[in-house]
Amino acid sequence: MSGWKVTREIAKRDLLDLWRAKMLLVFFILMPLLFMTMFGFIYPPTVQVNPYSGQIPSQYPNLNLAIIQQDNGQIARNVEAQFIQIAESQGIFSVSEVTDYSTARNGIVKGQLLGIVVIPQGFSAAIQADTQATIQVTVDQTNPSVAAAVQSEVAEIFGAIEGQMSTQYLQNLDPGINPTFALQPMAITSIPLIAGVPTSFEYLAPSFMALTVITGALNGVSTAISREKEQGTMDGLLVAPIPRQSVILGKVAAQTVRGLIQGFLILGLSMLLFGVVIYGSPITMLLVMVLGVASFIGVGIIMTSLAPEQETAQMMTTLLQFPMMFLSGILFPIAQLPVAVQYIGKAFPLYYAADALRKVVILNASVSIIMPDLLVLLAYSVVTMAIAVPIFNRAMAR
Amino acid sequence: MTLQRTELAPLSEYAIETHGLTKKFGNFTAVDHIDLAVQKGEIYGFLGPNGAGKSTTIRMLCTILKPSSGTAKVAGFNIDTQANEVRKRIGLVSEKLIMYTRLTAEQNLMFFGKLYGIDNAELKLKVAELLDMMKLTPFKDRSVGGFSSGMRQRMNLIRALIHDPEIIFLDEPTTALDPQSTKFVRDIVLDLKKGGHTIILTTHIMEEADELSDKISIIDHGKIMATGTVAGLKDEYGTQSMLEVFLTVTGRELRDSASDRVSMKAVGRM
Repeated sequence: MSGWKVTREIAKRDLLDLWRAKMLLVFFILMPLLFMTMFGFIYPPTVQVNPYSGQIPSQYPNLNLAIIQQDNGQIARNVEAQFIQIAESQGIFSVSEVTDYSTARNGIVKGQLLGIVVIPQGFSAAIQADTQATIQVTVDQTNPSVAAAVQSEVAEIFGAIEGQMSTQYLQNLDPGINPTFALQPMAITSIPLIAGVPTSFEYLAPSFMALTVITGALNGVSTAISREKEQGTMDGLLVAPIPRQSVILGKVAAQTVRGLIQGFLILGLSMLLFGVVIYGSPITMLLVMVLGVASFIGVGIIMTSLAPEQETAQMMTTLLQFPMMFLSGILFPIAQLPVAVQYIGKAFPLYYAADALRKVVILNASVSIIMPDLLVLLAYSVVTMAIAVPIFNRAMAR
Repeated sequence: MTLQRTELAPLSEYAIETHGLTKKFGNFTAVDHIDLAVQKGEIYGFLGPNGAGKSTTIRMLCTILKPSSGTAKVAGFNIDTQANEVRKRIGLVSEKLIMYTRLTAEQNLMFFGKLYGIDNAELKLKVAELLDMMKLTPFKDRSVGGFSSGMRQRMNLIRALIHDPEIIFLDEPTTALDPQSTKFVRDIVLDLKKGGHTIILTTHIMEEADELSDKISIIDHGKIMATGTVAGLKDEYGTQSMLEVFLTVTGRELRDSASDRVSMKAVGRM
């Protein structure tokens, strides 16, 4: 029997095995859905509004904020009233007026408040004297991402109030002046790369496609031989007149098919449940995923050749999978990482597979645009296979 | 029953011949320069205590393990250089179930049959015939995982016979079987012999070796300690019991677990 026929038979058998394990099949479908839902919602939604509409972007609506009026001058009271009006009408903050700072501070400590705005004494006098007045802001530093949002949203609201004050000031100086031009001589508008408001799912869907396909194949291949040995079925394969490489090739083929099904399942679920719009060609996606799998097959074969039992093989793949998941730009862009760590992230082929897939899925990149990524994946495939084949042959001939 | 072999390999007068066959795992010598000559059509008992080197020898002869030194011919073909020719002509039954437990009996047998390049239509007939012979036809669509020990061993026998091999290695085939299944398997072994098959049988059950074997070799510490016909060995050691022969040759003391462990690790490797 030819090697290819044997490979096909072994792949078919492995897929039949999955088909007959109904429980496993359910998890096989649930896992990608669970992953996408879990990770898609842990990130704050990206909010985009027209900067000239007067609407302030708010990631977290109606956060509890205290305002302390220490000045009580007419101007300070007007500013406070405007702040509360903008914050509450746009659903940015739910503002409570507090009389002293220590009560408000306790509110943060107790978790009832996320920020404090203080209009200090002398605020009105400073404005009246044409000098810069100060606003004091305190945020809950135990949650950096919410703290940053509070800080920037408070600044945005005061920015809007300042705009009105500056316009008034300029018109008092010279009624013929164009305050819009005086305050903002340049306007910034954005041309969107893709239609609609981007969500984390657009980043995560291609990332998880790459991750699922690759880790699925890596796990499957690395435990393939040890599982057969533990089941006792390896002897049945080894006493048959078949090329031994066909055994591993059959396993690789089955795992690749499994991975691709899961990959496209993620894509389908992302479109159906999370509104991700696909612009790229499925053929190019398939090419990236197959090359992504190929770049890890060598590593999987080395692991399966070295691991004496399934548990060890699983530990080995976990050891590779975890750093890869966090450092290769799957969950967040690697630009967020320190430069030295970015180099480690870029050492994993997963980075290139996810990068290429993202460009194809969301930006409809052509093969020539993602060619650098594809070449890196191909290089990884060739080099790791060149190392893996002699190790596998030696393990099989022991 | 249809266990008559359709052809016999004419290449050698022996089904199995080994010369100085040796297997080392690091510093541990599992099989130490053994010479065997198994004639075609005989049942050859290959006995020894745990860790003696039986399974390692069988695994070398089945081309699963590569010998460290020495040569062996199985069905006239060199196990090292003509492994695939050997594989076409042998069948292996061990105490372990060599089946995928999630698949049905028929799916398993069709899969293993295809590995031998048997044509689909012919394979279907062969599977049906062997399932019938082993009284497993009513269970052909059930997962093998739910089978009893006796059914599992009959499945192992079908898998080993599906390509009509000349030589069948039975590595402790009746371990953990109930008396009915043991009797069934032993009857099959005798039928196989009648059909012209050569059988290498390892067993810890001396009564089984006595009943079935034409010739016996006793191996210990990787070396052949005694070889002869059942009657010849009994005469030589002045007893009517195979168990007495075995204990006289291999000693009565319990085997330490350490050597067992080394050996188990060794035989567990590919």
